[in-house]
Amino acid sequence: MEILSYGFMQRAVVTGIAISMLAGVISVFVVLRRVSFVGSGISHAAFGGVAIGFLAGVNPVITAMIYSILVAFGIEKISSKGRVAEDTAIGVFFSSSMALGIVLISLSKNYNVDLFGYLFGSILAISESEMWLTIAATVVILAVIMMIMKELLFTTFNEELAIVSGIPTRLIKSLFLLSMAVAIVISIKVVGIILVSALLVIPGAVAQLLSRSFYPMMLMSCAVALFSTIAGLYLSYQFDLSPGGTIVLIITALFFAAFLRARK
Amino acid sequence: MVALEIRELSVTLSGKEILKDINLSLEEGKFLGIVGPNGSGKTTFLKSILGLIKPLAEMVRVLGKSSEECLREGVFGYVPQHLNLDIHFPARAIDVVTMGLYGRLGFFRWPSKKDKEKASEYIELIGMSGHENFPFGEMSGGEQQRISIARALVSNPKILILDEPSTGIDVVGQEDFYHLLKGFQKRFGLTIIMVSHDIGAVTAYVDEIACLNKILYYHGAPLGALDENVLERLYGKNVDILIHSDVCDKCERLRK
Repeated sequence: MEILSYGFMQRAVVTGIAISMLAGVISVFVVLRRVSFVGSGISHAAFGGVAIGFLAGVNPVITAMIYSILVAFGIEKISSKGRVAEDTAIGVFFSSSMALGIVLISLSKNYNVDLFGYLFGSILAISESEMWLTIAATVVILAVIMMIMKELLFTTFNEELAIVSGIPTRLIKSLFLLSMAVAIVISIKVVGIILVSALLVIPGAVAQLLSRSFYPMMLMSCAVALFSTIAGLYLSYQFDLSPGGTIVLIITALFFAAFLRARK
Repeated sequence: MVALEIRELSVTLSGKEILKDINLSLEEGKFLGIVGPNGSGKTTFLKSILGLIKPLAEMVRVLGKSSEECLREGVFGYVPQHLNLDIHFPARAIDVVTMGLYGRLGFFRWPSKKDKEKASEYIELIGMSGHENFPFGEMSGGEQQRISIARALVSNPKILILDEPSTGIDVVGQEDFYHLLKGFQKRFGLTIIMVSHDIGAVTAYVDEIACLNKILYYHGAPLGALDENVLERLYGKNVDILIHSDVCDKCERLRK
């Protein structure tokens, strides 16, 4: 327990708990809606947004959030026209946003920027204001998801049936996309751009392997995210490992354990 | 009252004309069967009624209203042909039936105990009691179809719309199935619109039949659809139809 006496560890644990709840809830829908590649695309695109922040001297989390939301809706808009497949649209935004990021950062000549922190997470370096920003964003997103939870579940089950039942599916899908984009950018603090999709996908995947109905799946997903984050933080402190990488490895181990169990 | 009034309905999707100049009117409480070959526009016709495809508003009136108003009021119960559902989708039969009530509940409101009881009641009604907690994705095609009907009926719709509901059900099961629908029609005063590729089986249960293949070839009493001229125009030449009805159509035709 002595590790909790450090201020940076307290902030890391609180931020980690908030993000686990967020990832646990969002990842259930990421898995059921089969949009894990969209999540991966959005997180990599966030790199472009981070670079814009560096260059403009604005908090990179803010610019990354705006940029990622635009990219999320850009992917949706382009693929919904039917001429370009969704994975193609993601591929385009994914790489071009990273390219934009690299160019902007080389332009800024500011090599002091903590690029590594954004790419692989920097949960141990979180400031108090960042912690509060994370908590606030988590509360807002979870409230939105709670509001539309059953409508989103029905839309995921079958969109046409949801429409016939009088559910505004367009609004529901947009709210989810928005929540997912914000959740991704917020989670980048913990595990980084490269690894964030693990946090947004695997808890839901583990939960689906182990549960047969929706609410147990949701609880299981949150539990998996929470356990991995806390255990990852603890192990990374004890053995001086990268916290982001350790968290993702633990989640992955849980996935394979669940997979083997479910196969029986 | 008129349940359905269709005037000069034409639908073109991606440059292809799917439906052309369809006029049809259906009284409330009737059971209408829609038949036609594959790719004849039957599903498009249903989706135009449901407002999932939007033709000009004046072409489709349901209970005197536009499809959009009807969607808001929950007029329709819809059972589509395929759900394209992952077999591991985390929903039990009872969860799926309860979804039928979601549109009425509104944001932030969860199904109450009463809602769940109502869902159980409808599962019993379609003869599936005891299956409430069974994972929906793992059920057989026929069982899923029945649960889907319970889901469509649980919100007390005025019009039940089914797209090829007998797909995946064996012949004996099909007869039970149509019987069940017929019972709901009487019990709830439901108007039923059902697409089927199985013209023979359908004629025995429906009140009216519509033969559709881009244009409407026939609309009227079921036996009239078995007229050789109608069938030949609908399906092409050299079609022999097997009919499961009390009336022996072959004999009737021979007698003529």
